[in-house]
Amino acid sequence: MKNKIKELRAKYNFTQEQLAKKVGVRRETIVFLEKGRYNPSLELAFKVAKALKIKIDDLFEM
Amino acid sequence: MQKDKIRLFLMAFITISVLVTALVYGFMTTEINIGSMIPLFIPLIIVVFMIFFIIRRYRDVKQGMPLEDERSKKVITLAAAKAFYVSLYWLLAISWFESFFAEKLFNGQYLDAGQTVGGGIGGMALLFFVFWFHYNRKAELV
Repeated sequence: MKNKIKELRAKYNFTQEQLAKKVGVRRETIVFLEKGRYNPSLELAFKVAKALKIKIDDLFEM
Repeated sequence: MQKDKIRLFLMAFITISVLVTALVYGFMTTEINIGSMIPLFIPLIIVVFMIFFIIRRYRDVKQGMPLEDERSKKVITLAAAKAFYVSLYWLLAISWFESFFAEKLFNGQYLDAGQTVGGGIGGMALLFFVFWFHYNRKAELV
């Protein structure tokens, strides 16, 4: 699934580690999310969207 | 955080126990053949994997990241399921070794019961690490 995590993370000057800590996951999970190689649970998707101050349907696209 | 450190400490304790047991077995065994080497080398390979795993996870926990998250749990579940499935063939291979290959290929060097069970369990653990590595690094969990 495509997403805008990488660009929004850059916009807010978060490192992958900082974002991982914010949403309570491991850094590798953020790496795989950004590459679109892991589809998160609904809960994690909401947490990431909240951390990046964006609506969930604007963050992810099919 | 503290709970994660305790879990890592337990993993390290088990790894050291496996290493010590394998080394004691290595020093005690008098035979040098394929049957006596399988229960020695498989635990040693597992120990190397575990040391690599524990060091990486300890570094992450120290930086404040969780020991496990939803993706790592999914990876473990998938790796365990696949390792179980493939290990059935591994166990079958060991039984073939016992009944056929030992006599034909290794001049009748049969495994004793302990070596067979040790090789079976060790092989399952090794398969688990191989699949864990595959799902953790390569596979797309989508």
